Amino acid sequence: MTTAAHPPIYLDYAASTPLDRRVLDAMLPLMVEDGLHANPASSHGPGFRARAAVEKARAQVAALIGAEPGEIIWTSGATESNNLAIKGALEFRGLTQAHVVTSRTEHKCVLDTCRHLETRGVRVTYLKPGALGLVTPEQVIDALTPDTALVSLMWVNNEIGTVHEIERLAPLLRERGVLFHVDAAQAAGRVAIDLSQVPVDLMSLSAHKAYGPKGIGALFVRRRPRARLAPQIHGGGHEQGMRSGTLAPHQIVGMGAAFEILQREGAAEAQRLAALRDRLWAGLQSLPQLHRNGDPTRSAPHVLNVSFEGVEGESLRASLPDLAVSSGSACSSATQEPSYVLRALGRDDELANASLRFSVGRRSTEAEIDAAAARVCQQVRRLREISALWD
Amino acid sequence: MNESMSLPTHDADHDRDDASEAALLNAFGYPEPVWQRFVDAPRAGRFDASTPGVVSGRAGTPAARSVLSLQMQFDEHGRVVDARFRAYGCPSSIAVGAWIAEWSLGRSTDDMTGLSASTLRRELEIPEDRAHCALMGEDALRDLLNRYREKLT
Repeated sequence: MTTAAHPPIYLDYAASTPLDRRVLDAMLPLMVEDGLHANPASSHGPGFRARAAVEKARAQVAALIGAEPGEIIWTSGATESNNLAIKGALEFRGLTQAHVVTSRTEHKCVLDTCRHLETRGVRVTYLKPGALGLVTPEQVIDALTPDTALVSLMWVNNEIGTVHEIERLAPLLRERGVLFHVDAAQAAGRVAIDLSQVPVDLMSLSAHKAYGPKGIGALFVRRRPRARLAPQIHGGGHEQGMRSGTLAPHQIVGMGAAFEILQREGAAEAQRLAALRDRLWAGLQSLPQLHRNGDPTRSAPHVLNVSFEGVEGESLRASLPDLAVSSGSACSSATQEPSYVLRALGRDDELANASLRFSVGRRSTEAEIDAAAARVCQQVRRLREISALWD
Repeated sequence: MNESMSLPTHDADHDRDDASEAALLNAFGYPEPVWQRFVDAPRAGRFDASTPGVVSGRAGTPAARSVLSLQMQFDEHGRVVDARFRAYGCPSSIAVGAWIAEWSLGRSTDDMTGLSASTLRRELEIPEDRAHCALMGEDALRDLLNRYREKLT
């Protein structure tokens, strides 16, 4: 077996991002014996210092999204945040006769949480997006019933990058008194978010999608008007009773530092990423019969999802060992089921299976993009020459 | 680019353009007989329509994400003088096509009758979960041999 001469070109920033060196530098003091290692709930000097570090990070995370520090609840990541928001809101309200509206293209952790609630008696409407992946505010409003307790819709879709019209939908739901949860794991730092202007009630955030550490996330829980949640993890009453468990200051400080960098650099970075994304799409244009998945007019800057006609997905993935890209959700094998997101958009199984999600990030360069585009073009051409379905 | 990022960088400007010369890395761990044929795909393609003595066979469906098309050129004694294949499918499907095309050279229809999926699986080390690729090879060859016999009668 031959080994690759280079590490793969990493184009999977939507799956996870490397830790920014500046974030690592902010985290290290929390992990050594210099007084910052203490339990932030402890009532002594070291505990107070750890607590101050946690609260500084809370303010940094809040600042990026236009929230108040007291509206940020630490969790283990966006999956837990989504679970806490949806289950917590529904349990607090009472499960009987409750109705939830969400979409078929949400992250698995939202869909699986909703399916779990269905087994407990909650009714759920899964809206089908249009061909470009957009669920419109009108679709959501039309799906509301007098029993609708919660709407959950992601800000940016993780597979196709489509940006939902959260700013337009949120006030419509507020007028109707329906709680609104938004999964913003892909959105934070990549699209502008100002919750002082947009009346979202609950919003999930992740650190590792934003050059922070894995294992830490947050849930925004609005204070005015108060979004009420039943806790899903019981214990010492941490995080205003909504999420017990000793805080992990090193990870929290990492998330704070990562979000603080995004607040300063995110807008310029988003422009640079959009240019790289467009450069990649342009670089693939020498191939005929490509399909871009998602809405090019409402696309997050970092994601490009493309279906390749005439090639089979597993062979396509096997042919690109020097590119770290994604197809569907993360999987350890080249064999996989076609993406449920692409199928919800109406792509047939064959085309959905022959799709790649490229996602660019802070370390991506034009040279990497050009090399990746050339590699994909070369291998798609090769497989099409072999293909019994391509003439 | 921020120079203070934590991961090692590489010179992306260098070498990448010449990807055709770099051997593909078998990142997903396909059996070596499958991988080599997938990468090299010897005899992939089809004969020019004017080529004499060509018989074709086909098996599989797009819906099953596997289609194999075989072509063999026979001489006047009924022996294969050249062969081609085209495959839409996973690397194992492509390897099956390449293996049959190569194996057929110099063989008569009688020699080829009875090539079974289990032989293909053994030769290519195809695991149980890819047994359908070997079956598709058996079916495509059987289709070709049937057409050859129809042509004679």
